[in-house]
This record gives sequence, structure tokens and C-alpha cells, in this order.
Amino acid sequence: MVVFLLILHGLCAVALLGAITHQTFAAWWPARKAIGFTPSFRAVQGAKFTNAIVILFIITFVLGAVIYPPYRLNGRTYLETMRMWSVNGSFELKEQFLAIGLGMLPFYWHVWRQSLDDTLALARKMTSALLFFAVWFGFITGHVVNNVKGIM
Amino acid sequence: MNIARLSPIFSAAFAIAYVIIEQNNLALFTYHPRINEWGWLMEPSRNGPGMYWFGWLGSSALVASLVALISVPLLRNRPVPSIMGWAVPLICMVLFVYLLRAFFFR
Repeated sequence: MVVFLLILHGLCAVALLGAITHQTFAAWWPARKAIGFTPSFRAVQGAKFTNAIVILFIITFVLGAVIYPPYRLNGRTYLETMRMWSVNGSFELKEQFLAIGLGMLPFYWHVWRQSLDDTLALARKMTSALLFFAVWFGFITGHVVNNVKGIM
Repeated sequence: MNIARLSPIFSAAFAIAYVIIEQNNLALFTYHPRINEWGWLMEPSRNGPGMYWFGWLGSSALVASLVALISVPLLRNRPVPSIMGWAVPLICMVLFVYLLRAFFFR
């Protein structure tokens, strides 16, 4: 069951990564015409990803919280025994970044559901960028930790 | 006041509260994964490690909600700066890198 939830957690994270990456690139580096792969990637309407990102973030976060105890008992104990401090510290950073991201979700949803005006443009860019960073960091760290020592 | 207007205050308060709560281990509850038991506030380990992260999230959500509610009468006719909603979380994330630096320099 734990392995199933871990894989589901990873799959939800992949979907979240896609959505937040599209939105962040569209906000920071918008493309006027969708010609070719890179401009097409950036030429999306970022606001349309907002609800999906909020829902995927919460689902991924909850799944991560459910499989956290097995990691605490098996994975982290192993990392401490093997003195793998940087891997252990990366996971600590992951949990703090994502917790702060969770607290920022209501504000993120608020700025992206408004019609775009100049006062919120920077807030849109920055909230997306912070979630983009937290989610990518969490994804890569989770993979590294799982490769070092699985949760079983 | 529109509840959505309080979101930058909630976001900032959550981030600040989370840093303080994590650093001082002011968990609202503790989970003991080895024996699958929960306890109120910060409890010492029981037959295995205690998990406080869930309790930190609970404490932070509680504090941020209270701060947002208290700010309603104070900010009735004042604009809420949107920069609070992302700059404070950004600063807190950078702060965590500093606070956890010992993991990377052993």
C-alpha cells in the first residue's frame, strides 16, 4: 500500500510540475505566437492552470504526508546511520519549503483568479515562481532520497 | 472585508509562524509513528521517534488564521499590500536555507 501511495504521490507531482512549469514560463516569458515547441510551451493562458495547481498541490501534499511516517522510521533512520547529512538536510528543506508553499496557496489562488492588472502582475509572477521552485526542489529531493533508501 | 483580501496576511503570518514554531518545536500535536499514536502539543518520543511536522503545520495554520482574523478590523479601509503575500514566504524560505546550513557543512 505504501509503495502504491508513493507512486501515486510521484505521478501527482509530475502533473503538478507540468502545470506549474507551464504557468511560470507563461508569466515570466510570455510568447505571443505558438510557433515551435518552446513558444508553444510558453503561450498558454496561465490563469487556467490555477485551480488544477491548487488541487494537485493539496493532493500531492496529503499523499506525501501519508507516506511520511514510513520514511521517518526507515528512510531517515538509514540516512542518519550512514551519516548522509546533505541528503537528510535536503529533505528537511523540502518539507519546510512545501509547508510555506501550502500556507501561500490562498494568496496564490487569490492573485491568479483576479482579472490581470498591473498591481498584481508581480505577485502572480512571484507566487508562481516560489511554488515552481518548491515543487521542483521537492520532486528532485524526493527522488534522490528514494533512490538512496526507499521507504520500505 | 473580502476574505480573499486577507490572503496576503495569512500567507505572511503562516510563513513567519512556521519558522518560529519549527525552531522552537511548538507543535500543536505529536505523532508517534512506531506505535501509531497521537498526542497533544509537543511530547517526547515514545518507543521510537516522534513526528512534529504535522503539529507545526497545525500550529502555523491556527496562528495565521488568528492573525488574519485580528487584522480584519484594523485593515477595514486600508489597502493590503500584495507584496506581503510573496516576499515574506520568500524571505522565510531563504532563512530556512541558513538555519539548516549545518546539514551541508559537516
